[in-house]
Amino acid sequence: MSAGGISRLTVALGLAAVALALATLVGLPTPLQVVAAIGILVLLPGQALVRLIQVKDLALGVLLVLALGLATLTAVSTAMFYLAVWSWQACVVTMGVITVLACLARARQEAAA
Amino acid sequence: MISTLDVTSRTEGRWKRRDLWCALAGVVSLALAAGAASTVDVPVNSDLGLVAVLPFPFWAGVLLLNAAFIVALRGDAAGPARRPVMIWLIVVLVLVLFGTASFVTDIPRGEVAFRHLGIADALSRTEGIDPTIDGYFNWPGFFALLATVLGATGLDPATVALWAPVFQVGLWLAAVSVLTGYLTSDPRRRWLVLWLFCLGNWQDQDYLSPQAFGFFLYLVVIALVVGPLAARPPRIHGFRPADLVAWWRGRSPAEPRPGHRVSALAVAILLVTVISASHQLTPFMVVIAIAALTLSGHVWTSRLVLITAVVLTLWLVYPASAYLVGHPPLADAGLKVATEANVIDRVSGTAGHVLVVQIRIVLTVVLWALAAAGAVRDWRRGRLDIRVVLLALTPLLLFPAQAYGGEMLIRISLFALPFIALQACSVLLPTDGSTRPSSRAAAGLALTCFLLAVLIVTGRYGNAKYDVFTDGELDAVAAVQDLAPPGSSIVSAANPTPWRSEEYLEHRYRTITDLCLADLSPATCGPLVYDYARTNPSGAVVLLTRSSEASLVLQGTSSAGEFAELEEWLSVQDGVELAFSNADARAYVVAR
Repeated sequence: MSAGGISRLTVALGLAAVALALATLVGLPTPLQVVAAIGILVLLPGQALVRLIQVKDLALGVLLVLALGLATLTAVSTAMFYLAVWSWQACVVTMGVITVLACLARARQEAAA
Repeated sequence: MISTLDVTSRTEGRWKRRDLWCALAGVVSLALAAGAASTVDVPVNSDLGLVAVLPFPFWAGVLLLNAAFIVALRGDAAGPARRPVMIWLIVVLVLVLFGTASFVTDIPRGEVAFRHLGIADALSRTEGIDPTIDGYFNWPGFFALLATVLGATGLDPATVALWAPVFQVGLWLAAVSVLTGYLTSDPRRRWLVLWLFCLGNWQDQDYLSPQAFGFFLYLVVIALVVGPLAARPPRIHGFRPADLVAWWRGRSPAEPRPGHRVSALAVAILLVTVISASHQLTPFMVVIAIAALTLSGHVWTSRLVLITAVVLTLWLVYPASAYLVGHPPLADAGLKVATEANVIDRVSGTAGHVLVVQIRIVLTVVLWALAAAGAVRDWRRGRLDIRVVLLALTPLLLFPAQAYGGEMLIRISLFALPFIALQACSVLLPTDGSTRPSSRAAAGLALTCFLLAVLIVTGRYGNAKYDVFTDGELDAVAAVQDLAPPGSSIVSAANPTPWRSEEYLEHRYRTITDLCLADLSPATCGPLVYDYARTNPSGAVVLLTRSSEASLVLQGTSSAGEFAELEEWLSVQDGVELAFSNADARAYVVAR
């Protein structure tokens, strides 16, 4: 735990989301771009959201990271297409914001605990 | 009826020599199978598909892999081999069964994957959704996801499509693994379910598609329903209304933390919404599965099935309304229509093709028969889990509701497969879950798994003559895109054509089989194709490929002679000019 009862993992997830979103938007060499994009679009949001619901079962937690990450990205992308505001860059920013917001919500849970 | 089968603890502790040998056998199996598959020449010219041309080392690898898995599964008195070994063997099985075509060629298999890439490409170019284009634009969720992932990662779309089956099956297995964890605590049973799920997965729905994505989310929803959202029903004392009310009110949640249950419900609703936005059929499977489990008293909240039905209905009446106006949901309903479309129309074609179709049926029937025997065995012991039975049988309810282009039985068998596999384990493993299978039983199980592997490779890759494309066919499609001006029509002989991955909206795509239906004789079909091509003000290009011709001949729609006559008739008409030709394709430009 870091100061105020907020775990280091929560802070690290939020910071990683900001860093990976920026890196993906700026552009990286091909294999790194794939890793960064999958991280910010699927894995980090999935992990941040799963931490909000505090899953105890490790296997279910891993599965939900993938499912929630993919489902949230699908919902965000589809909504952007319907609103005619889609670009993959906008999706990266939105998923980064969702991750940071989920980390803030988790930090409040941890601080209150 | 029980909730789980109790049994042995998982094997932990030091690595045993047997585990290392099993892991090594997995490496050898992968090397043998991948090496052998990479020597296969394309095009595949057998009516039996890949099974006829895969060399002996491939089968040696498959046999060794199944033997290694059963040795690892048998393990010792403490349980099966260590978890990393079991996972490694399953990874190898996935690569061998679902990556075979990717070892043969670097071109994605099947026409539909190309089409789906084209839809994602069209979405990313238009940056909006026009539901009047076609049905895909009424359920755009998966394509929106694909467009975003391809744009952000910069991955080559063809490479993504090539390896999609391996990735999708990996996702499915992760979900099936968690799901079965709530239905049985026997580690041998849990590993064998994953193995049987792979061996029975001939349906070929794991390519880059909305249904593959939807099936993954379906499995996750069911995992939540039998996990955090589950309820334990009390013993029922009668069927009078008062007894039923008491039974219904006596359900207790399996998850003691209320907050966790509500969170799981919120996740399930999000997944159901995404499923409804991504695929036509899957939400109906979700509704009936949750409804059956709810009515059996095994779901903590009855609201989930209502919310799912509302989400599905709202999607149909608003975002998908443009499609439904011309396609009423029950237009193809009825047992007779479904039987004709799903069974009778599919068992036709050359002798080799009919044999492949029969093998698919045999594989499905064998697994269902094993599951039925397992269910009877569990019932006699008082250990039948009604949830497994319901999840295996409820997909059948959709059979008479929609012909679904003749694919409903395929989808039903896929949705039932995880639970059929789980129930089949009851007859393939010893009665007492803690008992290690005898050497003789293990040998029989290894042989059974090997035979199932032969059947799945035959069934799954039985259309390789027309769904494995060549470089020549890709070159022809590229040439046609150069030849065809915007707004023009592109006509192919049949659907197995690697087209539409680009310029999805720029042309009108038709097939000769669409235009002529069953009669491809030059006298009838020739004028129909010619007139259609001539009526487009921007002109048309007729593309005739090896794979599309092979599909017509293999499925009994036409003969090679009739097809040649049709091409000859077309080629001598006014305004028709051969503009591209190679060993696998010809393209004719038809001027207006």
